Amino acid sequence: MKKIIVFAMLAATGAFFVQHPAPVSQAEEVGQVHSITLPTIPPDLKDGVGKDKVLVFCSICHSPDYIPMQPLLPAKTWDGIVTKMIKVFGAPINEEDAKTISSYLAAQYGTAEK
Amino acid sequence: MKSRFFSRRDFLKTASSIGMVTALGGIPVDLFASEGKLVRFPEKTDLILLTSRPPQLETPKHFFKELITPNEALFVRWHIANIPTSVDLQTWRLKIGGNTERPLELSMDDLKGLPKLSYTAVLQCAGNGRSLFDPRVPGGQWGNGAMGNVTWTGARLKDILAKAGVRGDSVEVAFNGLDSGPLPTVPDFVKSLPVDKALEEDIIIAYEMNGKPLTMLNGFPARLVVPGWYGTYWVKAISDVTVLSKTLEEFWMKPAYRIPDNPCACIPPGTKPGKTVPINRMNTRSLIIEPSIGNRLPTGKEVAISGLAFSGGYGIKDVIVSVDGGKTWKEAKLGKDLGKYSWIQFTLPWKPTQKGKYTLMARATNSIGESQPFDRQWNPSGYMLNTIEKIDVTVG
Repeated sequence: MKKIIVFAMLAATGAFFVQHPAPVSQAEEVGQVHSITLPTIPPDLKDGVGKDKVLVFCSICHSPDYIPMQPLLPAKTWDGIVTKMIKVFGAPINEEDAKTISSYLAAQYGTAEK
Repeated sequence: MKSRFFSRRDFLKTASSIGMVTALGGIPVDLFASEGKLVRFPEKTDLILLTSRPPQLETPKHFFKELITPNEALFVRWHIANIPTSVDLQTWRLKIGGNTERPLELSMDDLKGLPKLSYTAVLQCAGNGRSLFDPRVPGGQWGNGAMGNVTWTGARLKDILAKAGVRGDSVEVAFNGLDSGPLPTVPDFVKSLPVDKALEEDIIIAYEMNGKPLTMLNGFPARLVVPGWYGTYWVKAISDVTVLSKTLEEFWMKPAYRIPDNPCACIPPGTKPGKTVPINRMNTRSLIIEPSIGNRLPTGKEVAISGLAFSGGYGIKDVIVSVDGGKTWKEAKLGKDLGKYSWIQFTLPWKPTQKGKYTLMARATNSIGESQPFDRQWNPSGYMLNTIEKIDVTVG
């Protein structure tokens, strides 16, 4: 029990972690070549109609975590964002899929406002 | 792979759920609350995940107790997904061209052979604090951790441009890095500065941060450093400097990264700006780092109200602190001065003798009189937040 209390006290002050942080990884160096390997972080999106389209099309350019990061947005703001992805960034999404994606975003990450 | 991203918070959640920590009177809220998911990226310590591709990672609050932000804790922000993950210094060159007399290519050795300049400067994202906008705006939902104070070392851009010979009719200088879009239609991340700005004394192509090579995620092997200006101009993994005879109006200069053309860069919430200009110099900010919102402090015991303050290249003249929601103010003591581009730490001892709720506030003023507004200001992109923050704490 004593051990547990000491551990908990150290944890409570943060001292435990300050003294034993996991080591920071270094870039790989082979000759003059510096390299890193990026981690893969699995997407975490709410289930709903259109999620499959979101995962396919939005992931061409960015991780889906851009979506749940946003505050809840009105449907027309989500619409505008999807349009921007198509018109400004050239996302290859046809009209029907764009509607499905916008509806998913508004339903799962939208305000009640239309 | 759960363990790979097992954060301190996960641990503490587990710990408190079995009653170990709560039994000891709670944990400091500032270290562990509302920080979202912590992740590990190469050369980085645990940072707050905003997005993974391209990476946008925020510095946890406790690092802001330090005068210099460690390399492994500095925030990360890329715009387009194909970021450089491997750079061969044998083939890497900084290419200078466009409207110049003598286009040239510099190797890393060439760059390091030029006169060195070193100084400490705050790097801050234009959207730092965007998640605190009211009403909320879409975009990277940063807390206040998209900033850091780093000692940068590099060669003067001015010296490099002089070697290339800028032609008299030049208007801007554009900067491009090794990152690219995942589709050819995605606008490349290219930024530009007015030519007079680009020729200023203190702008450098930095190849060191805090005395070490840049981390890959912060722009290895070299990046532009525009001290006093927002991070959007500090192009990472820089590869091309192009002198232009006309204004660059590509996506990342227009319509992106624009602010309303008025002194506060603000407009009534929910409205659209009229004329806009490219975002530029940073405004003045101060942030109370300790105590944190929601902290419970003991009665009759002295605590330090401490934090940091900085401005867009004019140094901090003073920081005043209030413990009564802005009714009365006291001047805080300033810490070590690392120059006009650095942040400076402030502290004010406070010994609350009466139980109750207190609202702590800090307000910085720079050497040319620029300060911080009391009212929340708004613009549609969520840039340049510098409203005086209110830190509500309980005594007793």
